[in-house]
Amino acid sequence: MKNLSRSFSLSLVAAGLFASGAVNAQSLAIINATIHTSTEQGVLEGASIVMDNGKITAINPAQVNADEIIDANGKIVTPGFIASNNQLGLVEVGAVAGSRDAGDDKAGIDFDVSLAYNAHSSLIPYARKGGVTRDVITPYGGDSIFAGLASVVDLSGSLESNIQKQAALVVHLGERRKGSRAFTLQTLINKLDAHQTKLSKKDKKDDDKPSTEDKVMAKVLSGDMPLVISVSRASDIVELIKVKEQFGVNLVLSGAQDAVVVKEQIAKANIPVIISAMDNLPGSFDSLHANLNNAGLLEKAGVKVLLTVGGDASHNIYQLRFDAGNAVSYGMSQQGALKAVTSNVADVFGINAGSIEVGKAADVVMWTNDPFEISSNVSRMFINGTEVSTQSRQDKLRDRYTTDSNMPRAYTK
Amino acid sequence: MNKFAPSLLAVGLAAALVGCQENGPQDDKITINKNPYPSTYTPISTSSTLITNATVLTGTGERLDDADVLLVDGKVLQVGKDLAAKADTTIDAQGKWVTPGIIDVHSHLGAYPNPSVESHQDGNEMTSPNTAEVWVEHSVWPQDPGFNRAREGGITSLQILPGSANLFGGRGVTLKNVPAHTMQGMKFPDAPYGLKMACGENPKRVYGRKGVLPSTRMGNMAGSAWIGAQEYKRAWDKYDAEYAAGKNPDVPNRDIKYDTLRGVLEGEVMIHNHCYKAEEMAMMIDLSKEFNYHAGTFHHGIEAYKIADLLADNGSCAALWPDWWGFKMEAYDMVQENVAIVDAVKNSCAVVHSDSDTTIQRLNQEAAKVMYRANENGFDISEEHAIKWITTNAAKSLGIDDKTGSLEAGKQGDVVIWNQSPFSVYAKAEQVFVDGAKVYDRNDSTYQATSDFMLGQK
Repeated sequence: MKNLSRSFSLSLVAAGLFASGAVNAQSLAIINATIHTSTEQGVLEGASIVMDNGKITAINPAQVNADEIIDANGKIVTPGFIASNNQLGLVEVGAVAGSRDAGDDKAGIDFDVSLAYNAHSSLIPYARKGGVTRDVITPYGGDSIFAGLASVVDLSGSLESNIQKQAALVVHLGERRKGSRAFTLQTLINKLDAHQTKLSKKDKKDDDKPSTEDKVMAKVLSGDMPLVISVSRASDIVELIKVKEQFGVNLVLSGAQDAVVVKEQIAKANIPVIISAMDNLPGSFDSLHANLNNAGLLEKAGVKVLLTVGGDASHNIYQLRFDAGNAVSYGMSQQGALKAVTSNVADVFGINAGSIEVGKAADVVMWTNDPFEISSNVSRMFINGTEVSTQSRQDKLRDRYTTDSNMPRAYTK
Repeated sequence: MNKFAPSLLAVGLAAALVGCQENGPQDDKITINKNPYPSTYTPISTSSTLITNATVLTGTGERLDDADVLLVDGKVLQVGKDLAAKADTTIDAQGKWVTPGIIDVHSHLGAYPNPSVESHQDGNEMTSPNTAEVWVEHSVWPQDPGFNRAREGGITSLQILPGSANLFGGRGVTLKNVPAHTMQGMKFPDAPYGLKMACGENPKRVYGRKGVLPSTRMGNMAGSAWIGAQEYKRAWDKYDAEYAAGKNPDVPNRDIKYDTLRGVLEGEVMIHNHCYKAEEMAMMIDLSKEFNYHAGTFHHGIEAYKIADLLADNGSCAALWPDWWGFKMEAYDMVQENVAIVDAVKNSCAVVHSDSDTTIQRLNQEAAKVMYRANENGFDISEEHAIKWITTNAAKSLGIDDKTGSLEAGKQGDVVIWNQSPFSVYAKAEQVFVDGAKVYDRNDSTYQATSDFMLGQK
């Protein structure tokens, strides 16, 4: 067993290996960790984990063999967190139009925002401060109810980042600034119906080359691609449960402030729900039941809950862990909250990460203490088995203005 | 325009008709009513309460373990160990933490309430870059459910401000966070008025689009309003002086806008300036010196850490977020230690604020983020110090630090009992007191207020 010292591992930082987005050629092991697996295995004390070739290759092997071995000294290790429902890499500054790429007036079913993904965005290292290693980047669309296609990106910040395209089709329903919600739901139903008809005809020898929309809708109708619908009011959710039954789509509710009103029906229909745990104000007549207790209530009803950051989510992704902590404070189980920011997201979007299991991507975070607690922080983190830094532009600014110098600050770099 | 007493107008007209009689018999003295919408707030109850065995953060920088807090007649009577006191109610707070009531210096509750429907957008009078004549208290909807949610997070006082579309957005108002069905029923008695100002992107964006000044940052700084304010003040000072000398001077024209700016020049109205960037805050301080008023508190100062010395030298508070950033260009240079860097300077006044109906519910956690991130980067900040950012320093920013913000004998009995250290993500306010009266109890629905709007909803 080759046990490398901490000073050696720090020198890896100095060598600039952090910048790499590629899969680490070195094998790596963490020993003596309290591993929160985000699986049915729960928490493993004094456990070890081996990462090789970007994947988790062993958990608690009889003998730990790796090029580098890190002693966690009993500290908590979790899967990297997976954020969702934000525009990371698709926006730099909210009010700077030229840096915003998540929407377009003409966006529709075939709108693939990952084409605009900027892995060098300054938001990405900042998001890593929250132990976030992967993210479901989500279009906000345009005039159509169909906002476009979500993708999953890793947070390596590399131009070679792993991008899993077409992870979901995103639709906006519910209250409208103009017009009726009935019209939008009818639009969705008509579209599903038209493509279902088309597909059934296709079986009878239709040689037309399918459009991107055809292909996407075929995956939606087969249930292979999740259909993420942002909606909140209970009556709308009840209508969507009927849509799921009629077309067999893999429905996921997003926003869903009033999902708690029909939580049993949602659980029975096996529909995952993406919510912000902090959403507790009646922003509209659609969300009169927004409450800090909702995440816990949905969990207890048997609903698969995914936690997402509300508001300007893209710049505040790192807060996901605090949202999870607050969800626990208001009734969610600790392990349930962990799943809501890891394995549940992975399950819904078909991501091969989000749990400490052999064969999963080696997205692993070592914590100084309870990952949800404000006093804790990331001590080290790995994406696809490669160590990444949590240092961001913000740290450089802080250091510039807190370092004594006789020269103007501009000379402190 | 003149929304004050019509009788003023009548008297003014009468004076004009009889002409100027400088040395004749004196007309009635015209005095501007500085408090036309007076507070009607009274504490809910006056029974006494003794909180025992708690970890007490006093707000003055002290931490007392196993300490007691005695509230009598709505005020803090004593804080200390083993108080030999009897009270109507005794609360055993073993294992719990007690802090002063939390104060948010920047809120739009009531003016931009929930539900956030079209007819509730009452926070920005976006019709002129200078609307110093508007008072946000006239927009406050006391049934905003956000007040109740904020109280559940320990907020006992808060300043409601107009939005930041205008260079002069209008007067802010400080409220006690008690349930009431009129604004006056919440109004913090004898708190000074605030004046909302704004630098930077918002005013120039809003008015640039309309093709009127300001469309640039230099337009923002063209401070002609203060010239008018000085002239207005001189005219009224002259009237007062001549009247006092037995003359019968003409009554100056009344202008509500200039009443507010004159209040600033006379130190009665405190400026709360939405201003993100270091260079703009520095110029706003110079502008205040040119026209001889205090630049007040800088809100959202994302770059305050770049000019921490200057802010302290000027006696300006900086009301800041721990981590909001990136939504505008002027919010790009955020650092998580901003509050701590501002705070570290002698005579500083660092405040953590929300500007949010969501984070106002967790200002304790917002302060915790700053404290822990700063301590990881070379600072040594204790809980008893960090609590000042959301209590005493906030009270100072609002000019109510002689009344609330700390647990000291004689201060108003605004108190929060927390289930544990308020700097934990798992912390919850269990009981909240305003002027000695319990206004919230997490475990007793008797003390859980509900907005009219939420009543009977299915």
